[in-house]
Amino acid sequence: MRKGMGTLAVLAAALAFGLPAALGGAAATTPGVTAHSILLGGTFPLTGAASSYAPIPRGMQAFFSYINARKGPDGKRGVGGRQIIWKYYDDAYNPTQTVQQTQRLVEQDKVFALVGGLGTEPQQAVRDYLNQKKVPQLYVSTGATFFGSDHKKYPWTIGWQPDYQSEAAIYGRYIRDHMPNAKVAVLYQNDDYGKDYNAGFVGGLGSANSDRVVATRTFNVTDPAVTTQLVALRASGADTLMIFATPAKTIQTYATIARLGWKPGHIFVNSVSAAQVFINTAVQLSGASTVNGSISTYYTKDPANPSWDNDPGMKLYRQIMKKYYPSGNDKDANYFYGMAKGWTIVQALYKAGKNLTRESLMNAVNHLNDSTNPFLLPKVVVKTNAPKDNFPISQQELIQFENGGWTPISGLIDTRPRG
Amino acid sequence: MAQFWQQIVGGLAAGGIYSTLALALVLIHRATGIVNFAQGEMGMFSTFIAWSLIENHGMEYWLGFALVLLISFAGGAGIYGAVIRPLQRGGELAIVIATIALLILLNGLAGWIWTPEVKAFESPFPHSLITIGDVVISWQDVGTIIVSFACVLVVFLFFRLTRTGRPMRASALRPRTSRLMGIRVTLMLAVGWGLAAALSAVAGMMAAPVLALEPNFMLPVLVYAFAAAVLGGIDGPVGAVIGSYILGVGISLLSTYVNYITVAPELQLPVALAILLVILLFRPSGLFGRTVVRRV
Amino acid sequence: MRLRPAALVQLVAIAAVAAFVATYPLYKSDYEATKLTLVGIYLIAILGLNLLTGYSGQITLGHGAFMGIGAYTTAILVTKTSISDYATIPLAGIAAGLIGFLFGFPALRLHGVYLALATFGGAVAFVSIVQSTHYQGLTGGATGLFFGPLKNPYYLTWGICAFLYLVAWLLVHSKAGRAFKAVRDAPIAAVSSGVNIALVKTLAFGIASAYAGVAGALLAIRLGSVSPLSFTVTLSILLLTGAALGGLGSLTGMIFGALFIQFVPGFAEDHVSKTAPQVGYGLILLAVLFLMPGGAAQLLHRLGTLLYRTTRPLYTRAARRAEAVATSTRSRT
Repeated sequence: MRKGMGTLAVLAAALAFGLPAALGGAAATTPGVTAHSILLGGTFPLTGAASSYAPIPRGMQAFFSYINARKGPDGKRGVGGRQIIWKYYDDAYNPTQTVQQTQRLVEQDKVFALVGGLGTEPQQAVRDYLNQKKVPQLYVSTGATFFGSDHKKYPWTIGWQPDYQSEAAIYGRYIRDHMPNAKVAVLYQNDDYGKDYNAGFVGGLGSANSDRVVATRTFNVTDPAVTTQLVALRASGADTLMIFATPAKTIQTYATIARLGWKPGHIFVNSVSAAQVFINTAVQLSGASTVNGSISTYYTKDPANPSWDNDPGMKLYRQIMKKYYPSGNDKDANYFYGMAKGWTIVQALYKAGKNLTRESLMNAVNHLNDSTNPFLLPKVVVKTNAPKDNFPISQQELIQFENGGWTPISGLIDTRPRG
Repeated sequence: MAQFWQQIVGGLAAGGIYSTLALALVLIHRATGIVNFAQGEMGMFSTFIAWSLIENHGMEYWLGFALVLLISFAGGAGIYGAVIRPLQRGGELAIVIATIALLILLNGLAGWIWTPEVKAFESPFPHSLITIGDVVISWQDVGTIIVSFACVLVVFLFFRLTRTGRPMRASALRPRTSRLMGIRVTLMLAVGWGLAAALSAVAGMMAAPVLALEPNFMLPVLVYAFAAAVLGGIDGPVGAVIGSYILGVGISLLSTYVNYITVAPELQLPVALAILLVILLFRPSGLFGRTVVRRV
Repeated sequence: MRLRPAALVQLVAIAAVAAFVATYPLYKSDYEATKLTLVGIYLIAILGLNLLTGYSGQITLGHGAFMGIGAYTTAILVTKTSISDYATIPLAGIAAGLIGFLFGFPALRLHGVYLALATFGGAVAFVSIVQSTHYQGLTGGATGLFFGPLKNPYYLTWGICAFLYLVAWLLVHSKAGRAFKAVRDAPIAAVSSGVNIALVKTLAFGIASAYAGVAGALLAIRLGSVSPLSFTVTLSILLLTGAALGGLGSLTGMIFGALFIQFVPGFAEDHVSKTAPQVGYGLILLAVLFLMPGGAAQLLHRLGTLLYRTTRPLYTRAARRAEAVATSTRSRT
């Protein structure tokens, strides 16, 4: 009897340890993934000075809800039968908060991956931590170049949109090739955003042409106005103005140069601030004649631009917004951006396969090649080929503002390959 | 040389924007001895109401303007009665916290009601420009400056001549005596807050066409308005306005000609504040303030 | 020395807090512990604020900037020299304290709201200076400085906090503390009694800033980085309002203040209004101002008085019985 007891005890112990593991399966080892769900997380400025970007995670939520409800190409709802659960927290653009909320997502909520985190400085504050813990920090919502260029050093972190330096380099090369006698004045925001743009512009212009830049002025995004800077730039005799500023300050710039009666022959404005919804405000305040002729780039379609109204991608966007976030202003480009990013995330999840792990996701992200995104410009391909090409979206079109709308003045410009 | 004059014009235009808000701050300080940290946000909130009436619902500008002044007056008086007066027993600190709470509240409320998206609020003045040699002056800036002087005049006359103005000065200086004399102190002070709120609304509506309307647009203006009010002497309306213009022009010229700042214009504000601090050390009541005998 | 009930309640509260804090990381996850580390950091900061505003009556809206000075001192020292991060903590405190002391001199000329305005201006100026291109070789400009991994200096923070709390307690209950209160409540009388007001006020500024500097250094060590975005005027406002909610003028109130700073904004977001958390925070502030102007400390005091009143019959009954026994014993002899 005692001998049997011993064996029974061993058997019981084996069952006690083995059974939960067997039942749990792979899900027990990959945080945030179960047979029926994928938990994604992100931090965004829902309050505070940068809260105008708050629609981004809401656009992503609307898109994920759509994916969760519709039947995919494999006949299943969600991604391969798994529903996407999207958890995002407010960091008020304060790195102290970003660190707390990110730790919360990783250690308490146990998300599978961080996606779309917003802000250069906030995301930089958690980059070391996430890479050390091997948690994907995907498709950060910022064009800061170093997120892509540091991919080798931080393999779990990657950007999404065309980075600021490559965009500004396009402007630099345009001036170099088409306006060799231009006298350029640069106004840039004193933070990573503006500095990145300026660096890219100067690089694109080339060291041989660096004397084209006759004046440069900076400002803090917290300053009330940019009048003194613009007066100085005007006095330099420049005929070309580069505006590297976030939307509110860009609008201020247009309003101010109208009051100064200064109409530079060419104005280049950064793409983030060139969204139709902001430019419309600039036109109202400064007059169409001030804004007309401005040059920028874009890589997505614009919900406030009527020329896209009949586009199937735009229709899909409006349907999704109407069904899942009807109270949102669907002309706000931030919702649209969120949805476009959501598409890429879903593609990456599909590519990562049924056996979903963080490694398989990173592998999918590093080799993504998606041309199906209905929210990006036609023919824009979301392509990554690490370690050579770490910038998922590298194509954009030059556009010019005329008669109330942006029209393309070039084909797609590809700044690939980027290391 | 042309840049010199243009910077002066720009500085005067900036001064025009700060001055009306500085005037509101001075009015409240003179009437109730309080510094209202929420003054800028009250102006911002009023400007959003104006946007809603004029831009969103198509009301004619000056009608909307007048309506917003009335609404702001009522709001300011209401805030005084409901929030400030009951808390005045609590002392200086309680009031500072209360006005900060209002700042947070109004900022959040505006963002919630109207979203943080930047909006266009147009100026009522013509878009045309006056050109004198190389210097360009816009009618919008001229209009702002004229309005700012009109506001000073209104406040000045109000205090000097009207039947409500003089009792208000008395109420602020000697509340108990005033009460004994039959002056309804609370009413006077509420009127003061209402007037200040209306002035803040004017400041916001003049600033929005060039600064662009969004919930945070008045916060930097508030800092400069404080500096201007303190510079000019926080108890004198005329001083505050002159202080605003001096500050506006001063900063413009500093950032053009002092290399330290030209290279890093982001240092405009700290330099201006440092200079202000130095001035305060020598003249604690501001450039035009009357020296009050302080007990220790 | 009989212990007054109010003091008893305070002691019990502190003992409970100490026990709670000491054991928390043992049963809670590391993430949960970081929240309490932040509470400790904020507590150090507002203990200083309490001395400055609560006890010597100088309203400051620049305390966050002094935290920033401490944090940046740590970051700069670690990146530019071979000093270890922990060793920079006292240096950060000294740096911030010195600058605060120096600031205290012009502050003497400014009273009440003028001081609040000047400190407000200082806080705004701090961010501009630190992120300017002029100084970015030293401060990292708008990007900030990155010098280490994320850490959770839980026990270090609370150890320093306990020590500084004791220092504050000794200060408040000493002659210096009485001088502080005199300067706040009756300046003329204070001067007549020989108090050197100028010295008291500038010392208060220096000490308070040193506290903030230490808190800032610990925050920098926690994040492994500093950024101008972490030390804006919003932080100064959060520190002052949190301390006021806790009850300025009371040391134990500051414990509540630190908890408020860490948890009320999140509470406002989760339970008052998800879409307008700021509105929630503002309403909570106003509610506390109206209902409990002395903050949580006032609540504690009321609890203490309530405790005393409800248990007084027990004391008096026992006292009477003891007296009766004593009298009967005496009368027998």
